[in-house]
Amino acid sequence: MTFPLFLQLLTNGLVVGALLAIVALGVALIFGVVRVVNFAHGEFVTLGAFATYLVVTQLNISPLLGIPLAFVLGAAVGAGIQAAIVSRAAGRPELDVLMVTYALSIIGLGIFSSAFSGDFRSYSEGPSGIFTLGSVVIGLRSLTVLLVCLIVGVGTILVVQRTRIGLALRALAQSRDSAAACGINVPAAELFAFALAVGLAAAAGALVSLIGTIHPRVGHDLVLDAFVVVVLGGMGSIGGAVLAAIAIGIVNAFTSFALDDSWARILTYCLLYATLLLRPHGLLGRHVGA
Amino acid sequence: MKVERGRDLAKITWGSLAILACTAAMAALPWLGVTSYVRTLVYYGAYFLALGQAWNLMSGLTGYVSFAHGALAGIGAYAVVLALNADLPMVISLLIAAIAAGLASLIIGVTSLRLKGTSFTFATLFLQELVLLLVRKLPFAGGPGGIVLEEIFPLWLPHVLMIAVAGGATLLVLVFRRSRTGLRVLAMRDDEAAASAIGIDATRVKIVLFCASAAIAGLTGAVHGVFASSLFPNEVFSIDLSIIALAVPLIGGAGTALGPVLGAVIYVGLREILQVLAPNLHLTIVGVVLLLVILFMRDGIAPALGRLFRLKDRRGQVPAIAEVRA
Amino acid sequence: MSGILTVVDAHKRFGGIHAVRGVSLALNSGELLGLFGPNGAGKTTLFNMIAGLYPPTSGRIELASRDVTREPAFRRARAGIGRTFQVCRPFRGLTVAENVLAAIPPGSGVGDDRARAREILDAVGLLPKAEDAAGSLTLGMLKRLEVARALALEPKLLLLDEPLAGLTASETSDLLGFIQGLKARASIILVDHNVRQSLGVCDRAIVMDAGAVIASGSPDTIRRDPGVRRAYLGESAA
Repeated sequence: MTFPLFLQLLTNGLVVGALLAIVALGVALIFGVVRVVNFAHGEFVTLGAFATYLVVTQLNISPLLGIPLAFVLGAAVGAGIQAAIVSRAAGRPELDVLMVTYALSIIGLGIFSSAFSGDFRSYSEGPSGIFTLGSVVIGLRSLTVLLVCLIVGVGTILVVQRTRIGLALRALAQSRDSAAACGINVPAAELFAFALAVGLAAAAGALVSLIGTIHPRVGHDLVLDAFVVVVLGGMGSIGGAVLAAIAIGIVNAFTSFALDDSWARILTYCLLYATLLLRPHGLLGRHVGA
Repeated sequence: MKVERGRDLAKITWGSLAILACTAAMAALPWLGVTSYVRTLVYYGAYFLALGQAWNLMSGLTGYVSFAHGALAGIGAYAVVLALNADLPMVISLLIAAIAAGLASLIIGVTSLRLKGTSFTFATLFLQELVLLLVRKLPFAGGPGGIVLEEIFPLWLPHVLMIAVAGGATLLVLVFRRSRTGLRVLAMRDDEAAASAIGIDATRVKIVLFCASAAIAGLTGAVHGVFASSLFPNEVFSIDLSIIALAVPLIGGAGTALGPVLGAVIYVGLREILQVLAPNLHLTIVGVVLLLVILFMRDGIAPALGRLFRLKDRRGQVPAIAEVRA
Repeated sequence: MSGILTVVDAHKRFGGIHAVRGVSLALNSGELLGLFGPNGAGKTTLFNMIAGLYPPTSGRIELASRDVTREPAFRRARAGIGRTFQVCRPFRGLTVAENVLAAIPPGSGVGDDRARAREILDAVGLLPKAEDAAGSLTLGMLKRLEVARALALEPKLLLLDEPLAGLTASETSDLLGFIQGLKARASIILVDHNVRQSLGVCDRAIVMDAGAVIASGSPDTIRRDPGVRRAYLGESAA
């Protein structure tokens, strides 16, 4: 492999990894704070993708504006679903809670499939062209994705690590009873975490629509990778999820090139089973939470 | 499996007799002159029931959710078609199918059943994808174009077999649930730590149960493979079948023997109605029904009906252990 | 005297178990009330009802004349009930300072809140450990950390759930002295399954058995009570 090719693959992998990181960040946040595996997370990605597609093609709005719009829409839908549905199952056995988000996923998948059929869609509006840096070529759209992911990702991590509400979320992830005893409004904090995570998912969907074709399963497929990442990164660890996402993105870029896409995925899943067997708390994770 | 208490014994005896009678009656349908529409309906009812009971045996009893039962059935279907095409007899082929699915379940079982339920659920979710990818890649599995069963069997054969599998699986859940081991498994679902404290090897019990559950799913898929006779990977390993496998028992009543029967009847009815009224919304409606049942009936329609008619389940009267401790 | 806490005829049933059977109590400002009884007497259940972990099946709970019977735990914490847990539940992944900071009502700006957290840690003697992970503390330090966290709420009432359990003899006497010092900051309810251990520091005490109050009054009254002696037969015979 030549060095320029190496750099090119590294760049491609970084873009995919950054996108994956934003999605996985949300899954980890919900898992850590609300103690729910959000199986419907992929459908929120799809929601953001189609919402952006619609505003771009129907209202002639720039896809760059679609990103914050998707975030706001996602946060609102996420807050509504947490308040009206997911919180009802709080305190129930794990099976019930899992099935609630899974049923939501089925409903979302069904709605998108019947509303948009199985067609692959894309649009040509928004940034276009390529950007060359030495021998590495990066599309302006990919560069946009990379930059937005960086801003959004760092922003989210700053909120979690540096603000009082972030402290409340981290405390809640460690012990619910203690958090309540410290005067932390548990339902409100959960609502915030869920809304933020779903907003991130929808924004990621907007970015997906910018660099690829979209279809009713687009988010579903992406979130499978995000789940891999969350397990590898140590369940619920936000930093672990981000690192694992970037690693998986880059590894996939190389294996896809050397073999093909399917074998790359097969290898990823094998890596995952090996991790579960040998390092159940994740490749990078230590055991967090009670 | 040692069964405790006389009341339970009576319940099991009568329940078993009823299941056997129903199974025999349904299996006899091809010779009773009913229309092929009714026969097909009953066949699919049995198919979904068998799959649902397989899921129920693991997930319903332990609370560890499997998303892979559709894929396990798919492995059974592929195995039976490959075996029959290699001129092996039917019984051996079905056995191979059950074993193949059982072996696949060990990948999940050994890697994730020591861990918490969430890891197990993820492991099953990934198996679903992994198997589809592998089948499309492996040359002997026919690639994306799938495989076809060379010999054509009479339709009554899969019909009788499927009803036997469904009846057998229901019987197994009924008896196992009230056996000593079954009670221990239920105790484990409620409080794994406490169950371990009274000497239950939780991991081993779960692995064995998941293996048995997978073998039944494999057998179910195998019979359906004989029925369908041509297999396309994207269809056989679509997530839809895994959804049905868990929706049927959850809607009817997970962890009970009769719940999945009710769930299968409801699901087959719903499916028929939706095929006419709104074929596009099939998945959405299943999701909505599932969501409503979980949110408002908790443990499914059968137990809810039972409470309505005051047929009390003894388990329901004991407060959850966690609550008392707090 | 002004009442801080009033509990009126509180009952709690879990399914078929009647864990607390009609307990009433009143706590005055600046008072240290001991709540004693053998394991399973209903102390922790009563305690959790006061803290708001779950509501009573029937009865009323008032904090400084305000009815809090149906309020969730976090709102009671903000209203001035600080608590510790029998089995320590620190935020293990957070630093000691962050643990305390999480309980300081947000408002005056992060800088001030951090200084306040350090003041509280100083008061409980944990300032040198401020930047360590809470998970690395010894049991005795964790108990102090939980007290610090409760103090961060500026509570009117401190609920200490078996703070002495699992401590060595010297840690026990240390902590008892420390608890007496806390009376200046808040009224206190101290739960212990062992009467002799901490009755001496209490102003008043209540003894529970099988979900009901079997004795209440000054430490001397409690010591002389025949019912208490019976409940603790063997334990207090010496």
